[in-house]
Amino acid sequence: MSFIEVSNLKKVYTSRIGTKGTEALQQVDFSVEKGEFISIMGESGSGKTTLLNLLSTLDTPTEGAIYLEGKSLSDIKDKHVSKFRREQLGFVFQDFNLLDNFNLKDNILLPLVLAKTPVKEMEASVLPLAKSLGIDALLDKYPYEVSGGQKQRVAVARALITKPKLILADEPTGALDSRSSQNLLEIFKDINRLGQTIIMVTHSARASSYSNRVLFIRDGKVYHELYRGEQTEEAFMEKITQSILVSSGRGE
Amino acid sequence: MGKLFSTKLAWRNIQSNKQVYLPYTLAATITVSMFQMMISLILNDFVQDRSSTLVQLFSMGAIVVGLFSLIFIFYTNSFLMKRRKKELGLYNILGLEKKHIRKVLLLENLMIGAISIALGIFLGNILGQLSFLFLNYLLQLPVVMTYSVSWLGAGVTAAVFMGIFLLTLIYNTAQVTFSNPITLLKGGKEGEKEPKSSPILFILGLISLISGYTISMTIDNPVQAILQFFLAVLLVIIGTYLIFTAGSIIVLKLLKKNKAFYYQPGPFISVSGMLYRMKQHAVGLANITILAVMVIIAISTTVTLFVGTEETLENRFPAENTNSLMTNYGLSGSEVEASIQEITEHIDELTVDFGLEVESMDSFRFVNLIGKFENDAFNTVSPEEREFIPDMVLLVPLDDYNRMERTSINLEDNEVLVYEAGIEVNSDRLGLGDNLFLVNELEDRPSVVGAEADLSDTLVVITPSAEAIDEITAAYNTEEDPYVMYWQGGMYWETTATEGDVMSYGKMMQAAIGDHGEEVGVFYESRSGNREEWYSLNGGFLFLGLFLGGLFTVGAALITYFKQVSEGFDDRERIQIMQKVGLDKETTKRATRSQIVWMFTLPIVTAALHTAFAYSILQKMLVLFSINNPQLLITVTIAVVASFAFIYWIIYRITSKVYLKIVE
Ligand SMILES: Nc1ncnc2c1ncn2[C@@H]1O[C@H](COP(=O)(O)OP(=O)(O)OP(=O)(O)O)[C@@H](O)[C@H]1O
Ligand SMILES: [Mg+2]
Repeated sequence: MSFIEVSNLKKVYTSRIGTKGTEALQQVDFSVEKGEFISIMGESGSGKTTLLNLLSTLDTPTEGAIYLEGKSLSDIKDKHVSKFRREQLGFVFQDFNLLDNFNLKDNILLPLVLAKTPVKEMEASVLPLAKSLGIDALLDKYPYEVSGGQKQRVAVARALITKPKLILADEPTGALDSRSSQNLLEIFKDINRLGQTIIMVTHSARASSYSNRVLFIRDGKVYHELYRGEQTEEAFMEKITQSILVSSGRGE
Repeated sequence: MGKLFSTKLAWRNIQSNKQVYLPYTLAATITVSMFQMMISLILNDFVQDRSSTLVQLFSMGAIVVGLFSLIFIFYTNSFLMKRRKKELGLYNILGLEKKHIRKVLLLENLMIGAISIALGIFLGNILGQLSFLFLNYLLQLPVVMTYSVSWLGAGVTAAVFMGIFLLTLIYNTAQVTFSNPITLLKGGKEGEKEPKSSPILFILGLISLISGYTISMTIDNPVQAILQFFLAVLLVIIGTYLIFTAGSIIVLKLLKKNKAFYYQPGPFISVSGMLYRMKQHAVGLANITILAVMVIIAISTTVTLFVGTEETLENRFPAENTNSLMTNYGLSGSEVEASIQEITEHIDELTVDFGLEVESMDSFRFVNLIGKFENDAFNTVSPEEREFIPDMVLLVPLDDYNRMERTSINLEDNEVLVYEAGIEVNSDRLGLGDNLFLVNELEDRPSVVGAEADLSDTLVVITPSAEAIDEITAAYNTEEDPYVMYWQGGMYWETTATEGDVMSYGKMMQAAIGDHGEEVGVFYESRSGNREEWYSLNGGFLFLGLFLGGLFTVGAALITYFKQVSEGFDDRERIQIMQKVGLDKETTKRATRSQIVWMFTLPIVTAALHTAFAYSILQKMLVLFSINNPQLLITVTIAVVASFAFIYWIIYRITSKVYLKIVE
């Protein structure tokens, strides 16, 4: 039994009555083993965020199902959905979703507070994490007082703080310079080594070369996948770049 | 950019921002109509014809409502601006000069202002008339109350609100002028920084509140000290606003510092959420509190007045039939007694002729000394020197006292009985005229003392004889001091009249008793004859009280609704983000409920506290109407507080549902 099993997934956005609706995901099938580090790549608008939203129960599929450890996500009762998000899942949002009325520290602590963690434990866990992400000096500031990249690292810290089984990250390096990106990816690699499963959306071949497997998505379908196997990061990156060039149909 | 273009742009802006402009215009319109109704009350015949005090009291009410309108419109405007700033900032960045933005703002404000003033005055007059119709129907008073519609009232309302809208315009323009496009663009986010706590404002608020309370507790006579009373009201209002705004932030920050408390799901969400927009939050709460106090006071005093009408009648007219006697100066006590005997016989004859009998007849004589009481002695004062309500010494002969009280007390020639109603005798000697008397204190209030004694400081003195009183008055009535003291008298009798003929008996007596020689003036009143008049007077007050109470309740409902809706939109995004991170609906409900409990209890408890401190003033005001029944006032007030709390609770339940619906 796979950790995550996605079968026949379809998502159609219908906004107004009468309009035909956007088919964001047409037909998606794949599975994820426990402890994998997967990258999802694809053009803008290809349905990556949609897929993550479905995986994280923030949205429900139009057709098809997602199984987590054999259990369908749609079967999780309303009450347990929040608990699932809180305890099993860490989500790094593309647009960060930080709360302006909390300082950065409280933003990071939010899931722990919701899980009723004792204060001492919370305080102990926030500093090392913030340090490793390079935001330890900013903890007392508010989101509107820091830069985009700093906000993104806070969003990552909030996703990691509960040590969730599954991490879903939507372009977690999108606002970061190359050094911070590398640093973040090293952290992902470390926690992945400790057994946490990661699914990361990215546009960067370098970022995806840190993962074990890359899924390519286009027009709402997974059309290609690459395994890293025993390759070095450089070689894997080379291969990913090749695939992107081939798939875009031009040999530039 | 032409004028036409600006006008068009302004109009289009209003239309495309319907979501924010509609509630704003609605709120402004209702505020205008509330003020309009308040102004109409001042101009109402009932109020105008009664007394200048009543006009002053209502004008004071109008000033409070005006201040309140200013605060409320500013408050709603700030929500509006928060949403508009982003758009205006974008215009600015896209190349519209600030000059033009100001012009657009001016036009928008002009349009909204004109619409709300015109609609509000119209609506106010309609609603005023409708509610008068309804209350007339409900109360079925002997006299129908009419709502006054006048150009003067409309003019005052229009002028006041033009001023208010002008102030908001200046504020909005300043906001646009003095901020750069980026801060404008961030719009909503700005001002959402955590507010600073300011202990100084808090202390100022406390001082203001305590001084207000102190003044209201120490005012002797609210009519005399109407300015002082108004000052107390203002101080309490200012205190409430300052304490709510500064105090709530201090409390919330303290709560936040307490980590074990703060880092729990409920408090984490609600404390941070409240802190986040506490300034507006607190202003809203203070608004509701002030309105609640006004509702409670308006209704509880007038209900007490109405319910206590019988008591008023009992106090004013101890028996069904009353004669008040006035005599010329120079008549001695024994001559007055002789007159009373003659009149008594006359009454007996008249009653028998009418086919009834006199069942009981009480009478007593007295002299009322008006002047100043100092160092255990009474002295007259010339009218110019006299205070608004002077000291009074009521002299009653022992015989008359014994007759009225059914007692048989004896006094030595140099002894008096004394009852203290506001004036205290500190030693055991009392100086009256040229004499010093030995003082014996009475514990119980003699029945000869009317309710008026509660109004001014009074000392009741029972003298050994009527001759002693003749002597005392002679000493005061000297050549240099032309202020004369004369004998007065009261006669109280019951007859065998049934309910059916009590009115016609009264009419007969009124016509027949009118004249009694030159020396003694007789003024007859029957309790039944006065009943109708008192009920229509007190009914009129009840009418006004209910009207005002209803008006302010609507105001409170409006604010609560506006507050919930605007905060719902503010909180929506926050709550949704938290739900994405794993906040469940249960905790959301619980956290918002704890906010709601605060929101509910804080205004009600504060309003009850304010009312408690206003109690002494209310009590004294009611004495003016011969109601001296603390029990009744307290019972009614508690009942009114409870009913208002209930109504507010319903308002709260409904608006909270709206809030939760918006948030989820
Ligand atoms: N709430 C929505 N309602 C309607 N259509 C939507 C909604 N969200 C996304 N879409 C549409 O669905 C498609 C997929 O969107 P999605 O956000 O998944 O793209 P993405 O791969 O994450 O793109 P990007 O790399 O730009 O973030 C797009 O065509 C988008 O316009
Ligand atoms: Mg996306």
